[in-house]
Amino acid sequence: MAEMQNSNPTILNVADLPTRSRSTVKSADYGNGIFAAVANPADFLSSDSEDDDLLEEPIDEQEIYDLIKTISDPEHPLSLGELAVVSLPDIFIKPTLPNVPESPLQTVTVLITPTITHCSLATVIGLGVRVRLEQSLPPRFRVDVRIKEGTHSTGDEVNKQLGDKERVAAALENGALMQVIAKMMETCQ
Amino acid sequence: MSALQTFMLVVEHDKEEAKRIAESVAHDLESKKTSLIEIVQGLAEYINDEDPILRGKAVSFLTSVIKSLPPRFLSRQQIQVLTTFFGDRIEDGGAIAGLKTLQALDRFTKDMAAETAQAMFSNFQDLQSRSQSQRFQVYQLLNDLMSNHRKALLEMGDISLIGIVDLMTGEKDPRNLMMVFSILKVVMMEWEITNHAELLFDSVYNYFPITFRPPPNDPYGITAQDLKGRLQDCISSNRLFAPQAIPALLEKLDSTSPNVKRDALNTLIACIHSYDPDTVSRCSITIWEVLKFEILNAQEEFLSELSLEALKGIAQRLSEGVTETTQELPLAQYLKPITKECNEQLQEPQQKQAKPAQQILGSLSSSSVPAFTLVVQTVVAPIFTIYQEADGIVKQRALLETLSVLFESAINIFGKWTTRGSEVSFVNPLLEFKDQFSDVLGQALMGAAKEEASFRVTALKGFLRLSTLRDFFQDNEIGLFVQYLDEILLQEESVGRDDLKKEAIAALAEISKHKPRLIMDITFPAFVATLPDEDDGTNTIYLSTLDTLAQISVERDIFETLFRRLFSKLSILLQKEQPGSVGYPRAILVTLLYVMQQRDMKADPNVDLYFDKIVIGLCRSVSEAASGKSKNRVLNDATILDTLGRLCNLLVRSVSIQKQEQVAENVYSLFSSPSDFSPVPFSQGATADQERTIIVSTYLLAGLSKDCGNRIPYTSPDVSGLLQDLVMRSVSYDTEPATHLSFLRHLALLVNKFLSKQDLNIAETAFDGLVSGKGILNPGTIRTVFWLSKALVLRLAPTTTHILTSLLGLLSSPDQQTSAATARGFSILLGDDDVLSATNGATIRLLSKQRVFTTVVPLISSRIRDVNTAGPADHTKSDHIKPAHLTALACILSTITTALVMPELPTLLPLLLQSLDLQTLDSVAVRAATLDTLAVIIRDNGVAVIDQCGHVHSLVERLLKTTQAKTETNAVNTPRLRADALKCLYLLATKQTPADAGSKAPEPSISPLLPEKNEVLRSLRAVLDDPKRDVRKAAVDARSAWLRGVDDVPEDED
Repeated sequence: MAEMQNSNPTILNVADLPTRSRSTVKSADYGNGIFAAVANPADFLSSDSEDDDLLEEPIDEQEIYDLIKTISDPEHPLSLGELAVVSLPDIFIKPTLPNVPESPLQTVTVLITPTITHCSLATVIGLGVRVRLEQSLPPRFRVDVRIKEGTHSTGDEVNKQLGDKERVAAALENGALMQVIAKMMETCQ
Repeated sequence: MSALQTFMLVVEHDKEEAKRIAESVAHDLESKKTSLIEIVQGLAEYINDEDPILRGKAVSFLTSVIKSLPPRFLSRQQIQVLTTFFGDRIEDGGAIAGLKTLQALDRFTKDMAAETAQAMFSNFQDLQSRSQSQRFQVYQLLNDLMSNHRKALLEMGDISLIGIVDLMTGEKDPRNLMMVFSILKVVMMEWEITNHAELLFDSVYNYFPITFRPPPNDPYGITAQDLKGRLQDCISSNRLFAPQAIPALLEKLDSTSPNVKRDALNTLIACIHSYDPDTVSRCSITIWEVLKFEILNAQEEFLSELSLEALKGIAQRLSEGVTETTQELPLAQYLKPITKECNEQLQEPQQKQAKPAQQILGSLSSSSVPAFTLVVQTVVAPIFTIYQEADGIVKQRALLETLSVLFESAINIFGKWTTRGSEVSFVNPLLEFKDQFSDVLGQALMGAAKEEASFRVTALKGFLRLSTLRDFFQDNEIGLFVQYLDEILLQEESVGRDDLKKEAIAALAEISKHKPRLIMDITFPAFVATLPDEDDGTNTIYLSTLDTLAQISVERDIFETLFRRLFSKLSILLQKEQPGSVGYPRAILVTLLYVMQQRDMKADPNVDLYFDKIVIGLCRSVSEAASGKSKNRVLNDATILDTLGRLCNLLVRSVSIQKQEQVAENVYSLFSSPSDFSPVPFSQGATADQERTIIVSTYLLAGLSKDCGNRIPYTSPDVSGLLQDLVMRSVSYDTEPATHLSFLRHLALLVNKFLSKQDLNIAETAFDGLVSGKGILNPGTIRTVFWLSKALVLRLAPTTTHILTSLLGLLSSPDQQTSAATARGFSILLGDDDVLSATNGATIRLLSKQRVFTTVVPLISSRIRDVNTAGPADHTKSDHIKPAHLTALACILSTITTALVMPELPTLLPLLLQSLDLQTLDSVAVRAATLDTLAVIIRDNGVAVIDQCGHVHSLVERLLKTTQAKTETNAVNTPRLRADALKCLYLLATKQTPADAGSKAPEPSISPLLPEKNEVLRSLRAVLDDPKRDVRKAAVDARSAWLRGVDDVPEDED
């Protein structure tokens, strides 16, 4: 790869990135700490009763964030989350057809903040996020990836490219580009 | 024909015969039947022949004869003559071998050695055009001369130096090179090379970097690494090479190949460690200038690590003999530009390159005391300045991390409080900043907003390092830190994942190793004061307090304090009329148990005290409670008895055999007098309270050594009565579950651990009595049967096969209940048990698991085949039989390792696939176990094993069905099943051996998964909308693994 454009970006600590808090943990119970080590007398296969089987967990912003935060930056061995290229408050899920309440269609909008305003890789990053979401979300979701307003010198140009179905499809036919994107996604898990 | 002629005829095709001829001539020589002169003269006819082969054979004859002579036979004169003779004909075959033999003789002189060497140098200008084996012989001779007559060669000076280099220049064979490098290394180290440094350096550096790749099945076993090692030894052998070597190696870092860079760095490190400090000092700054780039813009992690190692090596070399640090030292000169660069990078400590700067400081400062001192002097003050001016907590945290790295180095150099060994004579330069550190860290830990957990954790870790650093803080300063930690644990609300509290506990535990007094004086009173007298149900905060206490009390003195405090709490509780919830006394017991498990109780001098209080004291109280003579019912509770039992078990295992015998005699009476309490066995109409004491009795029995067997009551003349009684109680309907389990374990312990071989028939009779002739058994009986079987099978009793077939027979019982309960019982057979365990001295034969598996699987397989082929007429009666067999199989699989499974895979796989076809709610556990097994099989062995059985399609199809939340057939697929099935699909795509195993040439075979790809991707697309988050996550992973990993052509087109 050619000379790096931004060789020394600011990094967020992985531990500080927003995560889903497991609110189900019952505080101070035998299930915790040293008390978990001593089993209650039990025998036979206990059929684990899954009481909350029926509880639905809809796809939310945090889940979208978790899908894309581990994508690698094409320049650095760091993730988009660590570089704050994607962040939780910049992800929105809205019904695609607000006038048709029974429609299951949803639109996910992700705003991207490049590390520097003239980053030429912004398009590639946007494309990577888009590909990742299209591969990972059910068909009833529409994906909309854009550069956050005011964070890039040619933001409108990039947005046009990212929003244009034909151009996205053409880009995905490009072998070299797809290799870069495949490399970015290797760290997704 | 003369011996010579015969020899020349046979030497090519019959080595043995040739050798025999030479030996007989040598024998003649010894017995003076012939003379050396005669033999040499005999050669005359051939040694001037035009045919080199003929000449070679003739010379070989002489060599063979000499070889066969006793070592002291030849006189010095004779050796001299022979040496000259061979030397003149050195190019002829056999001459080299002759010289090799001669030079090993005692009478071979220095002059002869020089003559030989000279002969080699003069006659082998064309050596490289000869065959590999000939060259090898020459090097061997040279090598022998080097080791036996080095002085002679050394005195030849430049002649031998240039001669040796010329002789070997151009060598390419790896076997020969191994020898070339080792000969040259000797020259480099021992010859006077000032005038020839460049020549010598070039003679080896031409080979850098080594790109040799041994051919497959290489019989010589020389690896690239062997060659690299020897070459590296040469390059680093003499400091005079530095002017050439260092720039050349640094230049290699421009290479695009990480491997070349790795070799260059490794060699550089070797040079740094081997050249003298002055030389190292001269190139130190140049090296830094180049390596800086490798670290700050790390291409590969290992390159950055090696570069750091090189920088550290330089600092170590430059610190040699330094007793005082001044700015004039070469070390200081070296460190100056480095610390300057790091200081600059740390101006914006949250940015990417601050991390490598931190690493550089860490590795340099840990190299030596002087380096540490110089780094601290130049770095710490600026860090404080940036810290004070920092505009955000993110920046401050990065700076604290940098300080923490320096603290870590300080520990490496000055040690911890517990480090043994001599004191370091230098003053720790950090002491100058001690109060500042304490203030800043204390402020960050306790003054920061509560949400800033990771900032506070960083401060905590830094504080902890300083607290364990030897001779740094005073006790009162560490005490302050301990108080902070107490405050965090006792007063603060939990935030998020509670990282801070976890770290605080870990920190207290660490400090307890260094300063136990502080923990006992500060933390203990504070924590114990918060423990309630009883649990009135309003608050269970005591659980986390006990948890913390348990984790910081592993040190001996602290544990003794903990025991006394908690035992007295417990004693008070047991005397109360209103003791509150039993959760509290149980938590106290669990705490004691946990700590004892962490410690080596056998080595604890107080173990007898603990034994008296717990085993004797509390067991007696249990017997009183069982007879209704205690103040409350705490000791009547099954969970309390279970925990107490575990505690007793651990203590019994830790005490002397005399004490164990005492326990054996009291195993049922629980140390009470006969008038107060009647033991469980043989008691008529025992109450539930009374029967419950068997829980404690069982744990006591489990802890006993086998040698105490004869002290157990009711076991003479034999144990049959006791077993009968236990069996009778085990099969009864209305026993409480915990008590029931204890009866079963008790029975199994007696049979497995204490029953002698001769008495095994007692247990076998009991087994037959329960099983034979009955088609319908109640669940209690079935459990008894399985526990009895477990006891016998684990010790591989002679009737093992009979037992297993009887158990399988029960699966086909026409009674559905019996069949289903039996199927589930198979998990008991080989399942791990806390009581009947190796720790408790149970007899568990190594092959028992394998034996069970190989006996049972073929039988299950053939039985299922029978059921499958039986007509539908039979169906109504035997509907339950197939699921029962599959359940039994799943139960066994869940208790054995997959290594045992693999040989049976072709039989097993169809059964596992049929298990996945089950759809009902009852079968969830079976299917879950099946998916677990499949996951392990795929993970460890890849797709290939499944492909070999020809089941890829059937497997994928069934897995996909299992991932559906809603199906047309109304199959019950719980979220866990769906996620597990997805995990299997994920593993299939990621474990496609050999696609990712080969380094260079992946086999161009088509993945067996390819035909499934479209269907999998299509089907998983719908699963991405599963109502459960964890399932969706698994679906995303599986789908992207298939998208990425399953391809028709291996990706090699760039």
